[in-house]
Formats: sequence, structure tokens, C-alpha cells
Amino acid sequence: MTQKKMTFLQELLGFVGLEDRLHLAWISSAEAQKFQKVVTDFTEKIRTLGPSPLARDYQKAVSL
Amino acid sequence: MKDTVKKWLEEKQVDMFLGYKMVHGHALPYCFQADRLDEVDDLVVSRERYSLEKMATHIAAVYPEMKIGMLARDCNQRALKVLDIWDQLKKDSVTTFNVNCCPSPLKNHGDCSYLEPSPVGPVKVELGIDNNMSVEHAEHLDQKERFAHWMYEFSKCIKCYGCRNICPVCFCKDCSLEHPELIRSGGALPTEVPLFHLVRAAHMAGRCIDCGLCEDACPMDIPLRLLYRKVGSSVSDLFGYRPGIDEGKSPFNLIGDAPTTEPRPI
Repeated sequence: MTQKKMTFLQELLGFVGLEDRLHLAWISSAEAQKFQKVVTDFTEKIRTLGPSPLARDYQKAVSL
Repeated sequence: MKDTVKKWLEEKQVDMFLGYKMVHGHALPYCFQADRLDEVDDLVVSRERYSLEKMATHIAAVYPEMKIGMLARDCNQRALKVLDIWDQLKKDSVTTFNVNCCPSPLKNHGDCSYLEPSPVGPVKVELGIDNNMSVEHAEHLDQKERFAHWMYEFSKCIKCYGCRNICPVCFCKDCSLEHPELIRSGGALPTEVPLFHLVRAAHMAGRCIDCGLCEDACPMDIPLRLLYRKVGSSVSDLFGYRPGIDEGKSPFNLIGDAPTTEPRPI
């Protein structure tokens, strides 16, 4: 259910052009290595995507 | 129609009837009552729409015993179903007089302000989102274009709360859109873009019945119906739930999957 709800949010964000910036993973407190891997991977992914377009003044993106 | 409504009021089948009355050439939402029976002659079905069920919800909150009659189109009926599921307005307390709306292959006639999509001007086509665009089309725009165009639409918002106020299925007492820690309260401008609209869109999941009143009400012509249609199609794809059509609680009301008795592998 959580997975579906998160997929829904990902789709909604994607619809307005903010895709790939939300990630969900199941990590138990015993899975330190998995945690490390997931966070590193996601950080790398965000780094390749660059800063959020929202961080800039959205007025500029709107090119009025 | 008028005779039926008169009969209902006379025979106390309903205590009041919510419909539209013609006032100076405008069909306005109006509450017809038994002591003013001759007014029923002015009851009209026009292209005008209003969320009568929202008025009914407010009335029922104060007078829970009130039997309410209501003029209902297809969208009103979907809204009534959602309101019943969310325990806002019990379906036993509402009697509907159904009128035709929402043309479909099954119907050859409909009365609704949404019959003719209004044309969109060149500026909106260049910078914004065409209100008549299909969800599929909007999904396939280039990411940069999609972002810029939606931000253009959202940044027009004057935060009048019209979309929320007209919405038949918005009934929360504490609205996130007025929560000071989420959104600056009152009419503080500029609007938090895109937070304001995305919060509302997320809250429409499992509730929006695609009546389009939000877009009708929006003074800035933001394509809200398209945004919420995307919400609706996602919810339908992921959860197999269509608000106002399918029975049962919204999947967003459930914690975890619906319980099953089937044994499942661990």
C-alpha cells in the first residue's frame, strides 16, 4: 500500500515535470550496508539530475 | 419536474429542495421550501452548475434530521456517493431528482456547462497548458517544457481558495492549505508554487469525481481539471478505484492492503 501511494506521488510529481526525485526503499535496522548503498545510489542519481528546478526562481523557468 | 418537487414538498417527503431558481436571467442555487411553494415555478435546469451537495452537507451538519431533496446531475450523484462513503452526508437523508448530464454514447442529450470546451488563446498555448489537453498528451510533453508550462499555470494562482471552496468533496475542518506550517495562511501572496497545488492534488486522490467545478471556479484559468484527472487516472491504475463510481472506502483510508483470508507465502 505504501509502495502504491509513493508510486502515485511519483506519478503526480512527474506529471508537473519533477520526476525521479522521490525514492522509496525498505531497509531494516539490521541492513546497514543496504542503507549505505541505497543512499549513495540515490545521491548519485540526484547529482546527475542536477539541482532541483524549484531551487531556482521558478519565474525564470517560466520565461515570460 | 416542478410537479414532482411540489408533491415532494407538500407530502413532506423532503423538508427542502435544493435546485436552481431563475433570478434576473441567471440560474442561481436556491433552497425551495413547502411554505413558499409557488416559487417552485421558477425552478430551472440550465447549463449552470453548483455543488448543491456541498450546501446539503453544510445543512446536514447543522440539522442532521433534515430530509433534503436535490437536483442531481451525474457529477452530483458521484459526489453524493463519495460524501456518503466518507460519512459526510448519509445517502438516506438525500432524495435526488435526477437530470440529464455528461453526454455519453448511452445518452443523446445532456445539459452541462462542460459540453463545449472553450478555445484557448495563443499566449496560453505558448506558455501554459491547454485546458482541453488529454492526460496522455500532457504526460508526453518534454520534461523541461512540462515543468515550465505547469509552473507558468501555477504561478498565476491568486490563492483565492475558490477551487477548494467549490469542491463538493472538500470537507476537512482543518485544511492543509491553511495550515501555517505548510502554507502561509490567509491570502499571503505569492502562492507557494507548486506546493499549494500539489498538496491539493494529492488530497484529491481517491476523492476527486472529475466534476470540473474547480476549473470552472478558477478566476486564473489554471487547468486544474487536467491535473486532477491525472490524479484520478493514477489512482485508478494503481489501486483500481474510481471515486464516486466504485463502492467501498478510498484506498487512501486503508493502512496496508485490504485484509484477506488467503494464506500467503512469507
